[in-house]
Amino acid sequence: MTTAWRFAGGEATEPGAAQAEPSAVGEPVSEAPSGREPFVGARVGGAQVQSQNLSIWYGAKRAIAGVTLSIPRHAITAIIGPSGCGKSTYLRAINRMNDTIRGCRTEGTLLVDEEDVYGPNVDPVLLRKKVGLIFQKPNPFPKSVYRNVAFGVQLHYRATREELGKVVESALRQANLWDEVKDRIDDSALGLSGGQQQRLCIARALAVDPEILLMDEPCSALDPIATAKIEDLMFELKKDMTIVIVTHNMQQAARVADYTAFLYLGKLIEFNRTRDLFERPGEELTEKYITGRFG
Amino acid sequence: MTPEKAERKALAAGLRKLNEDMTTLAELSELAIRKAIDSLARIDEGIAEEVFTLDQEIYALQEEIERTCVDLIALHAPVARDLRTVTTSLKITTDLDRIGRYAKDIAEVTVQFRADTSRHFKKLVSIPHMADLTIQMVDTATRAFVERDPESVRNIAEADDSVDALNDEIFREIVTYMMDGSMKVEVGARYILVARYLERIADHAVNIGERVVYMVTGEMPPRVRAAVRRKAGDSGVRTPK
Repeated sequence: MTTAWRFAGGEATEPGAAQAEPSAVGEPVSEAPSGREPFVGARVGGAQVQSQNLSIWYGAKRAIAGVTLSIPRHAITAIIGPSGCGKSTYLRAINRMNDTIRGCRTEGTLLVDEEDVYGPNVDPVLLRKKVGLIFQKPNPFPKSVYRNVAFGVQLHYRATREELGKVVESALRQANLWDEVKDRIDDSALGLSGGQQQRLCIARALAVDPEILLMDEPCSALDPIATAKIEDLMFELKKDMTIVIVTHNMQQAARVADYTAFLYLGKLIEFNRTRDLFERPGEELTEKYITGRFG
Repeated sequence: MTPEKAERKALAAGLRKLNEDMTTLAELSELAIRKAIDSLARIDEGIAEEVFTLDQEIYALQEEIERTCVDLIALHAPVARDLRTVTTSLKITTDLDRIGRYAKDIAEVTVQFRADTSRHFKKLVSIPHMADLTIQMVDTATRAFVERDPESVRNIAEADDSVDALNDEIFREIVTYMMDGSMKVEVGARYILVARYLERIADHAVNIGERVVYMVTGEMPPRVRAAVRRKAGDSGVRTPK
């Protein structure tokens, strides 16, 4: 159990001590239709992110309503649903990015590696080192390619110039960007193409060695070639990393994700293996949404 | 209209066309068997010719349906029920095309008979009975597809057992005639072939029935061997559906 993202010396909180006990890893989250083998995806490799009865409020409006979900480790999980269903809100809850939104309130339990993310001794900065977030629109800093990647590393470590150089190169290689930028590492990141900028943002996240990568519609501003590069990258990264992607593009979810969660009006309607969800969804509402009969 | 809505309308229109073509293909295949058996019973070359034409039409329509399915997959990436409808149609067209081919094969036997004789050695009984059962199976399976009704094909495997039993019976009967010399081997072989073609058509009807269950429910029914089915039937145990 890792506590790297807690304040040093902080007392460890008992996850869920004052709340309901989280569901056992692997307990089917959505009931399989009768006669069908129940979904036990989270049992494979265990769950890395678990929410238990999670609700998120923006003032008086409830954006997420009692979502219980186990996100499997070292796999890609897609969250789909119509606009305003709470996909991004749920995603941002995992690394507490919602904390930056005024009036946003979270109830229920959200565990990362069985530790309560909203516990009293959690340092959000350290949490976000472990749980990186990639936004819809590439948002590199107006600095050089090198400085963009080195920025996060310098925030957390006091690295020598040589060490930093190695980390930057390694992160850029991991993001499949090194060959394209190695000769202009000191040029402004704003001169890169949209797809390159997005991979730079991924490299920036990877440089601090996260265990979980959250991606909020990472390809919606990219052309098909840049999209394919990001998707290929996701396949490579999932070997050592848990990826959660929010996407409007259902074909992208079908292509890249091992598991898919369908949210509607803030509620989890179905969580299933992607193959099953797109071939034989268990819920009528899922069927209607993915076949385009509403939404 | 938003582009998304327009796209959905195009998908719906494509699926409607697919369904219409599949219904026509099922009707043509069934008609081909009926005519083939009729041509054989009457040893009527004219009806056999109609079967040859039907076989051509069936093949052309099967190709058209394949093109529609590929277009729907390529352009609209259907999922869930829509995906199962497209993949099931792709599979079933092959079954229906094969049924058309067997009808043509039976019609060819008619042509061979016509070259030798104008009447059968005795009034045909078992083969028309077997044909009735087979046509009924094809009708049940294709109707289940059109009406999206998996319940109606629940007992199709049992019906196939009856067709298989008739095939064995016809085989034994004809071999007996051939052995005692009351029927030429060449003629006897033709009857055995016709029974075999009907038995194969019934198998394709079972395939269609299984695919309909998958299309509607998302679950492929398990295949149970006839011997296991019989045993379960004897002991009163329900076979897995």
